[in-house]
Amino acid sequence: MRKDARQKVVLATVLASITMVLAGCANLPATTMYTYGDHATRILDLLMIVFWMAVAVFVVVQGALVYTVVRFRNKPAATTLPKQIHGNTKIEIAWTIAPAIVVLIIAVLTFRTQAANSVMPPEAIKIRSVAHQWWFEFQYFNQDGVSLSTPIVVDDQNQPTITTATDMYVPVGVPITVQLDAADVMHNFWIPKIAGKTYMIPGKSNYLTFTVTEPGIYKAFCAEFCGEAHAQMHFRLIALPAAEYEAWKANVSKIPAAATGTVQVLGLTGDASRGAALFADAKKQCATCHIINGTDAKGKIGPNLTYLGSRTALGGAILPYSVDNLAKWLQDSNAIKQGNLMGRVIKKGTLTDQEVADLTAYLDSMKLSVALPAEK
Amino acid sequence: MAIAEQKLTSTAPTTKESFQWRSWLATVDHKKIGIIYIISAFIFFIIGGIEAMLMRVQLGTPNSTFLSADLYNQLFTMHATTMVFLVVMPMNVGIGNYVVPLMIGARDMAFPRLNAFSVWLFLGGGFLLYLSFLTGGATNVGWFAYAPLTQTQFSPGQGVDYWILGLGLTGVASIAGALNFIVTVLNMRAPGMTINRMPLFVWMNVVVSFILIFAFPTFTVASIQLLFDRQFGAAFFNPALGGDAVLWQHLFWFFGHPEVYILILPVMGMISEVLPVYSRKPIFGYSFVAFSGVGIGFLGFIVWAHHMFGTGMGPIANGFFAAASMVIAIPTGVKIFNWIATMWGGDVRLTTSMLYAIGFISMFIIGGISGITLASPPIDLQQTDSYYVVAHFHYVLFGGSILGLFAGAFYWFPKMTGRMLDEKLGKAQFWLMLISMNVTFFPMHILGTEGMPRRIYTYESGMGWEMWNFIETIGTFFLAFSVLMFIYNVLVSLRSGEVASNDPWDAATLEWVVPSPPPSYNFLHIPHVTSRRPLWDAKYPHTTADDHHGEKSAPSQIRYEYSHEDSPGAKEIHMPTLTFMPMVLSAGLTVAALGFIYINQAILGLPIRTASYVFVAIGIVMVFYAIRGWVLDSRRDSPYLGHH
Amino acid sequence: MSSSAGQAHHGEAHQKPLVGSMGVDSRKLGLWAFIGSETLFFATLIVTHLIFYARTSNTLSSVGALELLDPRLGYLAIELTTVLATLLLASSLTMVLALAASKARDWKRFRIWQLATILLGASFVGGQIYEFIHLYHEGLKLAPAFEMHLSHEAHKALTALNLDPSIVRLKEAGEHATALVPSLFGVTFFVMTGFHGLHVTIGIIWLIAIYVKVSRFPESPENPMDIELGGLYWHFVDLVWVAIFTLIYLI
Ligand code: HEA
Ligand code: HEA
Ligand code: CUA
Ligand SMILES: [Cu+2]
Repeated sequence: MRKDARQKVVLATVLASITMVLAGCANLPATTMYTYGDHATRILDLLMIVFWMAVAVFVVVQGALVYTVVRFRNKPAATTLPKQIHGNTKIEIAWTIAPAIVVLIIAVLTFRTQAANSVMPPEAIKIRSVAHQWWFEFQYFNQDGVSLSTPIVVDDQNQPTITTATDMYVPVGVPITVQLDAADVMHNFWIPKIAGKTYMIPGKSNYLTFTVTEPGIYKAFCAEFCGEAHAQMHFRLIALPAAEYEAWKANVSKIPAAATGTVQVLGLTGDASRGAALFADAKKQCATCHIINGTDAKGKIGPNLTYLGSRTALGGAILPYSVDNLAKWLQDSNAIKQGNLMGRVIKKGTLTDQEVADLTAYLDSMKLSVALPAEK
Repeated sequence: MAIAEQKLTSTAPTTKESFQWRSWLATVDHKKIGIIYIISAFIFFIIGGIEAMLMRVQLGTPNSTFLSADLYNQLFTMHATTMVFLVVMPMNVGIGNYVVPLMIGARDMAFPRLNAFSVWLFLGGGFLLYLSFLTGGATNVGWFAYAPLTQTQFSPGQGVDYWILGLGLTGVASIAGALNFIVTVLNMRAPGMTINRMPLFVWMNVVVSFILIFAFPTFTVASIQLLFDRQFGAAFFNPALGGDAVLWQHLFWFFGHPEVYILILPVMGMISEVLPVYSRKPIFGYSFVAFSGVGIGFLGFIVWAHHMFGTGMGPIANGFFAAASMVIAIPTGVKIFNWIATMWGGDVRLTTSMLYAIGFISMFIIGGISGITLASPPIDLQQTDSYYVVAHFHYVLFGGSILGLFAGAFYWFPKMTGRMLDEKLGKAQFWLMLISMNVTFFPMHILGTEGMPRRIYTYESGMGWEMWNFIETIGTFFLAFSVLMFIYNVLVSLRSGEVASNDPWDAATLEWVVPSPPPSYNFLHIPHVTSRRPLWDAKYPHTTADDHHGEKSAPSQIRYEYSHEDSPGAKEIHMPTLTFMPMVLSAGLTVAALGFIYINQAILGLPIRTASYVFVAIGIVMVFYAIRGWVLDSRRDSPYLGHH
Repeated sequence: MSSSAGQAHHGEAHQKPLVGSMGVDSRKLGLWAFIGSETLFFATLIVTHLIFYARTSNTLSSVGALELLDPRLGYLAIELTTVLATLLLASSLTMVLALAASKARDWKRFRIWQLATILLGASFVGGQIYEFIHLYHEGLKLAPAFEMHLSHEAHKALTALNLDPSIVRLKEAGEHATALVPSLFGVTFFVMTGFHGLHVTIGIIWLIAIYVKVSRFPESPENPMDIELGGLYWHFVDLVWVAIFTLIYLI
């Protein structure tokens, strides 16, 4: 039984490793093996070298192990003792040096990539991202106002020109430096196809510089455990050609037009202007947490909802945007995202279906015209 | 060999001594204490494993609602806490406790009562940790409890406080145990058992004990500071009030990385005992294996920040910790190559224990190499906090520590119980466990590379993660089954297993001189040791000529008189008497800690708070009572102090 | 730890009780290792304190208010602490004398010196409690901010700086004014010195136990070692204070 079982193991391992390489090659939504940003690409190049060195080490050492066991496994008629060898200093020195050389090479390559990945070109566009439990906020500034040398501090003097959430818009082909901050606990900023992770730490600003090479919508996560809804703290990077990016900036800076129109949702007709009134109504509490530019809604706890109608996703990028999903969220966000802070105030039944429909109509009415690229 | 067999295999006594609770609860015998450690650690292994299975069932399918987010977070935190602090550490300590004194020719640990205190305090800590499940939820902040999520405003409830104090108790227990090991090995060695003749398992236990006494205090202080944050609003780790969240990471990992070597080095020691015996050769490069262990111990203290590459320490700091981490590949490689060389040219007997030892090497190579990729900061930035890391540490912790512990279990079970485990069943279990652990943990490398973050209680479909997660979940059930096979093997063998001789494996070290199981005093006559393989040299005098680099040594004088409790001479041997005081002391500390958790809970009404004061008071009284009794006991045992 | 399986070797000719293959008393070996462990315990506490003191002094000096609000100058009374330090150092001396006396089997002198050590230690703890209470009234509390009483000049000077209230908030209540400074100086100071005080207290209890035991069994050959162990721990505790004193009070 021992023999064929060992063959099974070998077979299983070989198959597994092959499938690993294959699977690694499939361009999955969040894979780190298909990169569209210089930061991630440099890492991938390094990984590929180290991976094959690791495979070599693995084959050599594992091979030596298996060969030794197979060759010297007990022969039934072994009556005499094997020769009692206690060691050999020359060999010891040899196999102390061998791994040393391998790791030295890995170290040198590592330092090269690390240096390349930690430069912050002065011409980089600077965006601030603030992590909250459990959603990402993005702030844009008029660039001549900010310099790379000093951290962006938001106060009465220095307010962002654009504040949005969940969708992070960036131009393609230009270096972006993101200042990473956290409002409550630690989070971790990760766009697998674009760049490696960087912590978002309360009380300490971190910086990450990357250049996106292709227009597209990229999946991104909070990678550091940050509490109950950590699993559902995502965002999306939307990389646009420079011109379209500028157009987006221009449009999103404008105050939304007065809300009009209706939507059909939950089998009801939601009316945007009624929704606007509800949103402003203190009893409904929307405005205590959310901002909508140009209205009295100035809450700072939740995400800024201006132009929610053209977001690609909701609830920390866990629901694709649609009026139905928006209505679902307003009805009972706890069912969608356990522990989310809005769900502690707006519970199931807090809003009537008609109110939900009206609010949906209102929020959906704030739309921009952006030509979205394909999901990568 | 044949001659040796006749001379040595005097079958152990089958004296059916009736089981008395007192002889266990009040014991100060290192062997009984070792058994208590081993059994409790194994029970915790099953608990931690079941927690893992629940997590795996939840993750087996996308958008699963089997567990709530919060319960899942409690489970992965307690799973890790259990496996690290309540399974591998106490299992190592337990086996060490049983075997080390025998290996160095001693009759007990240096401080038998302190030893009993350690085991009961460890159980007290484990009790607190699991009590929290019943008192409103266990800790749910991850096993390294990053600040400021641990602050009261983000983690209300007492889960984190239970975690701090539970680990506080086990920490004190571990330090006490480590001091005991250090003194025992340095001071209780039989005549002739010089440092460079000590078995490598003993070596690694000393190294680990030193790592432990220097690494643990940092964690103790950090957790005390966290406790002050939560109970008295101190804000050490609360940036909102001027504290520093990253400081916690430094303090935790300054302890945390040495901790992982605390988990692996004793197991490497076991491997270094098992391989030579089943290769019927001495260990290759004894001093290199020993000193590479020391080297790993030292290096382990200067690599901690490789867990923090993403926190923006800057390229210089990252570079330093990266280089230091990679250097560890060298001493570890030395160990692995020497193990292979030990088997080279040997008569390799593939017993279950040997299979596990070889499996350990094989799996540890994989885990170690993935560690090297993580040690490269740029690569780590993609792999950190993803399932790739989860893969890495399960290969070193399960493929390493756990497989190695099974090698030790099959090796020493006969010595501890006087019965052999069933080899056929054991080998079947080995192959099932080896395959299913790879089925469970190998795909995690892929998931990490495909962008699956760790510590997520669920994931949406369409990410391409479904298949691998499902396969892992299946693997877990096979793992569980292989563990069940082991449980079955133990239960059957204890009753009807083949009776074990003193020296069933034709081994080389002193624990195999005495009967299986050994009498309470271990050795009727303390052996006089003259070489690294005292028993072997006594059995095969002609092979001692080429002993360690020609240093000629006469065969160790070992006397094989068949000895048990009522053999002549045994009466004169004075062993410390039974005492409950160590247990009372640990219980007192546990009660006080439990009370302290609620000492300052403003949210709780007055009655509960006063109750907590009462608890603390009772605990302190018990502590003083126990110390008093302890002193009186030692006085009774002391030949000089009055009433005998 | 007064139990030792050295005792497990009675009747073994080749092993004297308590002394093992290192030729050292087991308890002494264990105590040395324990002291090694304790060193890291206190090192961590001291480092934490220094880190947060550096933070505070940097922010204060960045706004030019350090010389007025430096918590070290403002709170730590060098005089008192110097007295305490000398008490503790003296107690180390008397401990040495007590040990010497016991070696000479002069139990009368031993009792005197041991008692002296205990009293000196007790007065240190007393002094520390007094200092804590004093500091508490001075506005240094176990809280992430301290509220320092200001002289008129100091108050004027600070108002002149018109500081960002997030760094220093000035309060004025009729006659006396205070400055509220967010800082972990107090927290780290109390936790560090408090744990040292706890160790001193344990040391005192230990020394008392030795005193009682030795007076009860003057003939026991274990006495010198028991006393030496108590002394070893006592010297360590003193040394820790010397470290704290030089690092926190002097430089
Ligand atoms: C038994 C436990 C154990 C062991 C032995 C190791 C061993 C190593 N670990 Fe591991 N590690 C953990 C347990 C362990 N680790 C745990 C639990 C975590 C995660 C904690 C958490 O986040 O929850 C972790 C996380 C972890 C990280 C952080 C990842 C992250 O969170 O971002 C890193 C980064 O450097 C790392 C590196 C290493 C290295 C370099 C080794 C080296 O010691 C490995 C050396 C061994 C070899 C290299 C193989 C044998 C050598 C040869 C065959 C010679 C030839 C080889 C070469 C030339 C390469 N480990
Ligand atoms: C020694 C340490 C150790 C060991 C042995 C294990 C063993 C296992 N671990 Fe664990 N694990 C950790 C240490 C360990 N783990 C750590 C440190 C973490 C990090 C936690 C954190 O992020 O904070 C972690 C995290 C972790 C995760 C990631 C959670 C997350 O990030 O979301 C997962 C997921 O699959 C996992 C799975 C497993 C499995 C399936 C086993 C299996 O090997 C378990 C096999 C054992 C059994 C199955 C027990 C046998 C059961 C029986 C005999 C009873 C039979 C009962 C029934 C069939 C009902 N572990
Ligand atoms: Cu934010 Cu995880
Ligand atoms: Cu580590």
